[in-house]
Amino acid sequence: MAGSGPPGHEVPVMIDVARIDYWAASGTGPLHRASALSKVIFLLLVVTASVMTHNPYPLAAGYVVLLLQVASSRLPWLRVVALSLYSAVFALLYGLSLRGGSMAYALLILKAVTPALAMLTLIVSTPYPKIFGLLSTVLPELLSAGLFMTYRTLFILLDMMDNFAVSIRLRGGFSPGSIYQNGANISKGIAMLLVKAVERATRLYAVMAVRGYHGSMARTGTGGFRRDDWLPLGTGIIVLTLVLIWR
Amino acid sequence: MTHMHIPDGILPVWLWLSGLFLMALALSVCLFSLRSMDAKKKIPLLGAVSAVMLVSMSLEILPIAYHINLSVVAGILLGPALGFISAFITNLILALMGHGGITVVGLNTLLLGSETVLGHTLFSLMGQRLPVFWRAAVVTVLTLFTTTLLLIGIVSVSHIDVDAVLHGHEKGVHAEAAPDPAISTFAIVVLSLGSIGWLIEAAVTGAVVKFVAQVKPDLLKHRLHGRQRSPGP
Repeated sequence: MAGSGPPGHEVPVMIDVARIDYWAASGTGPLHRASALSKVIFLLLVVTASVMTHNPYPLAAGYVVLLLQVASSRLPWLRVVALSLYSAVFALLYGLSLRGGSMAYALLILKAVTPALAMLTLIVSTPYPKIFGLLSTVLPELLSAGLFMTYRTLFILLDMMDNFAVSIRLRGGFSPGSIYQNGANISKGIAMLLVKAVERATRLYAVMAVRGYHGSMARTGTGGFRRDDWLPLGTGIIVLTLVLIWR
Repeated sequence: MTHMHIPDGILPVWLWLSGLFLMALALSVCLFSLRSMDAKKKIPLLGAVSAVMLVSMSLEILPIAYHINLSVVAGILLGPALGFISAFITNLILALMGHGGITVVGLNTLLLGSETVLGHTLFSLMGQRLPVFWRAAVVTVLTLFTTTLLLIGIVSVSHIDVDAVLHGHEKGVHAEAAPDPAISTFAIVVLSLGSIGWLIEAAVTGAVVKFVAQVKPDLLKHRLHGRQRSPGP
């Protein structure tokens, strides 16, 4: 399983879920000890701040506060920041359709990267069963089961993509300049991945069903608050307060 | 192109709230229609198709800033109701990874979900007039063209004044004022670059559906409104 050990030099996938899964499961910092509920509330506070503000400065300050939180929690802050900046690329694409100067672009980018950093803080410090367990309390069973299966199948797919990329190169599947041939091979590869993913997912579901899985997570519920929740809750309140007082 | 990478707090509140409300409504209808579904068969399929969509969406075709969605493949393989749910799951996980805002999940699900529903419907309506590759490819182009127009419509009504964004004045939307050259530029860019993307997506979708029809045809034979559909030649 891709998420069971430190990810090495696997196929670079932008969303980098294997790495995120490893950080979430292996960390021991104060954010890891905080409850999933407090971190979801923290995320909502940051998203609310981002929705409310029309000024890039408090959001920039908020981003720094989030960064300090990540760095002080023994999380790989440089990589987390790099992942949060990924959303800025798409924000800039949307920015093309807006008429505005540097302030508008700054606001747009900060509105993208600040909640993205908050989301990343949640997912790199919370093992996925806790997140899905929390979601199961508010989502219908089919949706939470679908989310869970998608997440697990994603790791299976990432493993298969590694093998696929190697085997297609070994067999001369990529030839520089031959767009048609490369496109046809990649399409067939995606199709093969899909068929194999369905087979593996079906097997995984059958194994889980044998072990008692019936569509809902074993650990559901909010889990309540803990002593370490002061950090995410405090950070979220600080970011929202910055936006409210700095108009 | 039919997936908005718009951050939180850019779109007017009424628009993203309407998106979330309509998404919840559509999801309720889908869940109701799937209440007697064979979960053992369909949930793994839902997970696999959604995961493949996620992976394909993370692979950017750099010169034209396009990523394939495989939403039509999802519609054809999963059917309209499960396809819409797959669109929701994909968008929620993407939003959790910072790929588009949380508040935009509703609108994005409606856009991507409409691709799965339209893709499935058109693929079914075309019967077996064309070989399966061409049927899937033509359906993909038609679907993406339609949903790209929807995307332009959403961006057009959401096109808030930059002054309003920066200073908080609710000046309304540009759609009510004079024609916005930025929207025309956006529409031209999206339609011109998008059309290249549609052709790439059509080729990939056609190849994927053809491969599935050859290797695992039972995946295309799900029940739709009580009748069995065959993949065709």
